[in-house]
Amino acid sequence: MNEINPIIALLFFPAGAFVMAGGLAYEWVDRKLIARFQNRIGPRWFQPLADWIKLLAKEEVIPAGVNAGLFIGLPVVALAAALTAALYVPMAGLAPAYSYRGDLIVTLYLLSMMTLCTGLAGANTIDRFSLMGATRALTQMFSYEAPFLLSLLGPAILAGSWQIDKIAAYAQAHTWMLLIQPIGFVIALIGLMGKLELPPFDAPEAETEIVSGAMTEYSGRGYALFRLGRDVELVIGLTLIAAFYLGGLANPLDFLIKTLALLLILALLQSLFARLRIDQTVGLWWRFGALLGLAQILILIVLKAFGIL
Amino acid sequence: MKIGSMFTNVFGSLFKRPVTQLYPFVEQTPPTYFRGKVLSDMSKCTGCMMCVKDCPAFALEIFTIDKAARRFVMLYHVDRCTFCEQCVISCHFNVLSMSNHDWELASTQKEAFAVYYGKDADIASLMERAAHPAVGEPEKS
Amino acid sequence: METNVKPQKFIVPIGPQHPALKEPGHFEFSVDGEIVTGASVRLGYVHRGIEKGVEGESWTQDLYLLERICGICSHIHATTYAMGVEKLAGVSASPRAQAIRVIFGELERIHSHLLWLGVAAHEAGFDTLFMYSWRDRETVMDLLEALSGNRVNYSVNLLGGVKFDIDPAQADTVRRGLDYLEERTQYYLKVVTTDETFVGRTKGVGNMTREQAELWGTVGPTARASNLYRDVRVEAPYGGYVDFPVQIVLEEGNDLLARFVVRIKELFESYRLIRTILDHFPTGDLVVKVPKRIPEGETISRTEAPRGELFYFLKSNGTDKPERIKVRTPSLCNFGSVINSAVGHNLADMPMILAGIDPCFSCNDRMVTIRRTGQAAQTVAWDEFRKIGSGTLDE
Repeated sequence: MNEINPIIALLFFPAGAFVMAGGLAYEWVDRKLIARFQNRIGPRWFQPLADWIKLLAKEEVIPAGVNAGLFIGLPVVALAAALTAALYVPMAGLAPAYSYRGDLIVTLYLLSMMTLCTGLAGANTIDRFSLMGATRALTQMFSYEAPFLLSLLGPAILAGSWQIDKIAAYAQAHTWMLLIQPIGFVIALIGLMGKLELPPFDAPEAETEIVSGAMTEYSGRGYALFRLGRDVELVIGLTLIAAFYLGGLANPLDFLIKTLALLLILALLQSLFARLRIDQTVGLWWRFGALLGLAQILILIVLKAFGIL
Repeated sequence: MKIGSMFTNVFGSLFKRPVTQLYPFVEQTPPTYFRGKVLSDMSKCTGCMMCVKDCPAFALEIFTIDKAARRFVMLYHVDRCTFCEQCVISCHFNVLSMSNHDWELASTQKEAFAVYYGKDADIASLMERAAHPAVGEPEKS
Repeated sequence: METNVKPQKFIVPIGPQHPALKEPGHFEFSVDGEIVTGASVRLGYVHRGIEKGVEGESWTQDLYLLERICGICSHIHATTYAMGVEKLAGVSASPRAQAIRVIFGELERIHSHLLWLGVAAHEAGFDTLFMYSWRDRETVMDLLEALSGNRVNYSVNLLGGVKFDIDPAQADTVRRGLDYLEERTQYYLKVVTTDETFVGRTKGVGNMTREQAELWGTVGPTARASNLYRDVRVEAPYGGYVDFPVQIVLEEGNDLLARFVVRIKELFESYRLIRTILDHFPTGDLVVKVPKRIPEGETISRTEAPRGELFYFLKSNGTDKPERIKVRTPSLCNFGSVINSAVGHNLADMPMILAGIDPCFSCNDRMVTIRRTGQAAQTVAWDEFRKIGSGTLDE
């Protein structure tokens, strides 16, 4: 556990300004990589920051027929949950600000708050597109959540603990879990894409079908907060997967290299596929994702029981 | 059935330069037969008005200064022109041609879009005779 | 605005403002969960009054106005019109001019199909294919610019022929560009037919049997993907297609994947045709004299646009301005197939089915006369018409 003043931990590092700036930076790397994969130039380094400032400066239009309190409050809750999750992960290779038994489950719940808030935000309006986007977002959550949890459970089983700090220490001390449980790694990475609604799992936000899904009615401040929440979740998700599967995060340089390598793979996967329909997404996750996740866990349990691991 | 069938192209692009043309930082040269601004050599003009009648955008006007001495002034509305080249074809006297390097014609001033062709003295006298009705103005339906 | 009262009948409007549509058009899909149970369409948002506008300009000026009905298929509009006027005037363009018209028509078909490939991929969420196919489309746009001087609205046609020639150096540039495009098109055919995610979005979607295609009056590649033998270049060859025939491309898939394959295979056919014409370029004048006053009469003119059969009706009353020009574009015929084949599919398939017919809304907005039995026709004066339109009639 870090010896940082709680206020500093909340506002600057690891939550707060650091992870928000990190989120914007990672969004830029993601967009630039996708652009280069598509043979284009891509945005300049300050583009996500400029987008965010512009969105904050825009007028927020509250549509008719919504619950104004929910409308304004949901983006704030989503961003707050994402920022809180940053307190428990080994950000930038340093120890987490707070650590206690079972904080892996708490972090995963906090990361799911974003999808819940999106779903509620979409159901809040009477706009058809938002309603369909909310339905799709919640349907997708029901499909990828279980395999994603299982894939993060694998390292927890090997480390014999539910505490992120201890699992990361175990991963650092032993061979990379990427090599021991490759299936878990694949499911974790693709599960992260599902959680963040990145293509090909962006059916809840399909631009050409339902305009913008649950976020159709949002503009200005609410939209800025939702997008920033998503970027923060990208950083936290990458940190978790790098810490568990890529042998822990020893120092900031190690953190940077490993998370950027994962981001390269994510960007590549985003460019290669067409968008999956929501029924195809659910079918894929429940047929392949859940079964493979369960198989991986069973293999681990058996190997651990026999004392091999 | 392949998964990620565009992989070779996509991954290879990481090591190639982007294909975007960096206009306006890099100059773009148009091809030889490019259709840019209409240029006019009024010394050959006979005042037959074929170009004025055939222009689909009513972008050309010809003012007669002195018909016997063949002195005409052409007013070319750049903002109305569609760069179709019909005027060049309609003219039997090779007065008109289209530039292949003058194509950045955007402007913030309205005056830039009214281009006069002809002898300087003729253009000046046309400006003075502002009240004089222009001959050969196309009929607008 | 309607509110969602019953869970069974939930109407999702697509358009007139929607990211899936590049031009305005209004579709209403009644959905039940994610399954579409009914559809209706409303067009007319891009009506520009071109058919009225051509009546006030001379035959030469109309050539350019009609060319701008559509940006993607501009050349074929001008060609059809020019062919119709030449028929009325009793002249025919020289073989060289007709060959040049065919070359530009096929280059336009190439650019239109590549554009469509990118747009359809974008509707499926496959942005990478969109970017790559549009990058390769730049090759054919540069070719068109090098040959004609403009990337869009090439203005090649004149009444009686074409404006300019293609010299051997330009022909070589065209051949090199076509070689590059052919290699890329092979790649895209492979991607479209074997990519797992893409085939998952297109196979079995938008099924339309041959009988249904005929019943709903589809034309163009949409019909040919359902094994319907419809191609004006083959059934009623015109212009340069008499000397340089085209093979028809038919597919039996009946679904969206077949439409992709038909269009890509048509690209190969276009490459072959252009190369054949360039190798056997006929001789002749570029333009034949056409009188200023076209003799009285009426005629029709049909060609194969990239989207299907394009139909012109021209009527002349002997003066230098046309009496009536009626244009019927192919997209208008294909909308019936969209709303009929949409039932039973997921809502996520709707943009794909719509993109499958290659809709061009700007092309097809015309005045339509609907006469109901028993109702006499009404004539409204212009001032009153303006008042009705602006809602101030009773003032």
